[in-house]
Amino acid sequence: MAALFSGAPPQGGPGYSFKQTPTMAPSGERQHGFYPYTDNGGSTLGISGADFTIMAGDTRSTSGYNINTRYAPKLFKIGGEGPDNKGARIVLSVVGFAADGDALKERLDTIVKMYKYQHGKPMSVSACAQRLSHVLYNKRFFPYYVHAILGGIDEDGKGALYSYDPVGSYEREQCRAAGAAASLIMPFLDNQVNFKNQYEPGSGTGHDLQAKVAQPLPRDTVESIVRDAFTSAVERHIEVGDGLQMMIITPNGVEETFTPLKRD
Amino acid sequence: MFIARSEYDRGINTFSPEGRLFQVEYSLEAIKLGSTAIGVATGEGVILGVEKRVTSTLLETSSVEKIVEIDSHIGCAMSGLQADARSMVEHARVESQNHAFNYAEPLRVESCTQAICDLALRFGEGAEGEESIMSRPFGVALLIAGYDEDGPSLYHAEPSGTFYRYDAKAIGSGSEGAQAELQNEFHKSLTLAEAEVLVLKTLKQVMEEKLDSKNVQLASVTKAKGFKIYTDAEMEGVVGRLPTN
Amino acid sequence: MDSLVAQYSRPMHAEEGQTYEDQQELSQMTPELSLKFALPPVASSASWLRAMTDDYSNPNCPIKIAHGTTTLAFRFKGGIIVATDSRATAGNWIASQTVKKVIEINNCLLGTMAGGAADCQYWLAFLGMQCRLHELRHKRRISVAAASKILANLVYSYKGMGLSMGTMCAGVTPQEGPALYYIDSDGTRLAGNLFCVGSGQTFAYGVLDASYKYDLSDEEALELGRRSILAATHRDAYSGGFINLYHVKEDGWVKHGFSDTNPIFWKTKLEKGEFSNVTADLV
Repeated sequence: MAALFSGAPPQGGPGYSFKQTPTMAPSGERQHGFYPYTDNGGSTLGISGADFTIMAGDTRSTSGYNINTRYAPKLFKIGGEGPDNKGARIVLSVVGFAADGDALKERLDTIVKMYKYQHGKPMSVSACAQRLSHVLYNKRFFPYYVHAILGGIDEDGKGALYSYDPVGSYEREQCRAAGAAASLIMPFLDNQVNFKNQYEPGSGTGHDLQAKVAQPLPRDTVESIVRDAFTSAVERHIEVGDGLQMMIITPNGVEETFTPLKRD
Repeated sequence: MFIARSEYDRGINTFSPEGRLFQVEYSLEAIKLGSTAIGVATGEGVILGVEKRVTSTLLETSSVEKIVEIDSHIGCAMSGLQADARSMVEHARVESQNHAFNYAEPLRVESCTQAICDLALRFGEGAEGEESIMSRPFGVALLIAGYDEDGPSLYHAEPSGTFYRYDAKAIGSGSEGAQAELQNEFHKSLTLAEAEVLVLKTLKQVMEEKLDSKNVQLASVTKAKGFKIYTDAEMEGVVGRLPTN
Repeated sequence: MDSLVAQYSRPMHAEEGQTYEDQQELSQMTPELSLKFALPPVASSASWLRAMTDDYSNPNCPIKIAHGTTTLAFRFKGGIIVATDSRATAGNWIASQTVKKVIEINNCLLGTMAGGAADCQYWLAFLGMQCRLHELRHKRRISVAAASKILANLVYSYKGMGLSMGTMCAGVTPQEGPALYYIDSDGTRLAGNLFCVGSGQTFAYGVLDASYKYDLSDEEALELGRRSILAATHRDAYSGGFINLYHVKEDGWVKHGFSDTNPIFWKTKLEKGEFSNVTADLV
């Protein structure tokens, strides 16, 4: 089990959950385990601005040290029209176990679409955020192995970003990185988006130094921060690479871009 | 005709050859026995008013509850079998709280009405997967007043499960006369204070007893205060504003 | 016999996809108020869940649920002070420094979050709904005793399933005055004057017990709450971030800021001379 999720090389081929071989206990009994999860690696990130939210994720899918595919999107439009989700205003990103992520996406998408029929209005991001929390919590005893981030535009027209743990605790934030390279990207975002450990130049010395106050960043700055975050993560994390998918949510809709990343 | 009728009004889910569900139609008759309830929607908010039918001087009038709160932004007035209304109101309350729990937003008035009406046809044997909760149709009609993002609105829900939105609506024993009066008096630019008077004036015309501040009850739903049942002092104030004739 | 077996057993593929109940739930969209949770298809779901999510017994567990905390609440003559830190950790990783660990159940009841963040968020929101329904049905505000009992009975019914929460319910009602209850996922429910809960509880108790008395003024009480959390963030690695401070009074709670610990620490050190173990020199 540990081999799948830690740094140790996987034994007995790629780490599909059903490839786990039964182990022999010292007393001689064969022990079978129930390991329904695989970590498919990759990383996602979201940053919200004054009137937009950018969601991003790499498109590599791995299991163990194998790269399954170079294009497996982690970003999904939620609750639009038809199979392409035209006109959607909410984007869900999931990282962790891709099958669970897919199931979660399908479920949330159905809920948001049904909501529109039942209540005659599109679901707001804040409502979707609360519902997603409960969808995750409803599997509290058999969790979805995913870190979800939900992005959209709130009712005041401001960028909204919500991040989740696997069982549904959530919080609205300015920025959040999740997945394999979260520990590489998040400190960078703390510094570049929330201006942590940045001080006003010339505001004093020693204890008089004034911390720089975070404010919403313009869209082109955020886009370049996202690109920098991912190109850097690709350099230092084996599970991140191949392509960068970005969705920019504005009051006018969702723009999608794709940028190639290193494929090694 | 009478014979044909008695054959088809026993099974509550059985259509008559003319295509009628007699038990549902009878339940509509039950409402015509109920006390009168009136709702008037204005741009500022909705006013609900009911007559209390104080049958005895020994009756504690405050225990006659015909206007109830569903949530802080939705209230309803009832006419017909009050006991049935209780389970509908309970359902609506749970539905409203459940929506707030799941979506962190108040339930829309139309959705709340829909939720109540979903309950209305769950009588009889019960379809597969859906538990039947009543052995007969409800014997009560509701006027559901609320305030949501689209502003104030008033709905009328019948035991048949149909509902319509109204500017002004009267239900119960005096509904025919009252509805005609509302038809004449209602206009779009009514203020909340004018609506209070209109509701009481209309009730006064159709009530058997002489109207006073004890045998009628008003409630309002506004953006600022949400659902509020009028206190005794407020009732006296409105009754005092009624034109004397 | 074979026909009997065939009648009651279903082929594997029938179990795939969404069950009839799942589809019902999706089509009705708002799930009913029954609390149906998905369970893994194994005999002992609790120990399976522990193997997958308990980072304390298994640091390599795949799913790391956010943990770690210092929270406190105490009764005094002016009401109740509730204070928490804001750090969430998953293993050694600081998952967030901005968690709102005081949960506003309604405008006069507060709950605190320690243990599993999702458990606390979900069940305290659920409690909020139950309190509101109580209010609608009985036409008066629920007592803190009753609210805490709803929560205690609820978590007790899930005992052994793997819930993890240590929470405090604080409120002031006309019939009870200031009332404070501690509830945890074992099913414990205690009324008391002061509680500290979480990995940093011992550090907070140290400061709180030293200066606590019932007759504190509002200002003194707020400062004591703030200072106790500061002590915990200083000595407990799993606590930190911001100090979230609330004062519950009879007419509702008042929020007294969500303030960064770092400037408060230096202010406490430089102005009051506390924390003399730490040097103030910036080399």
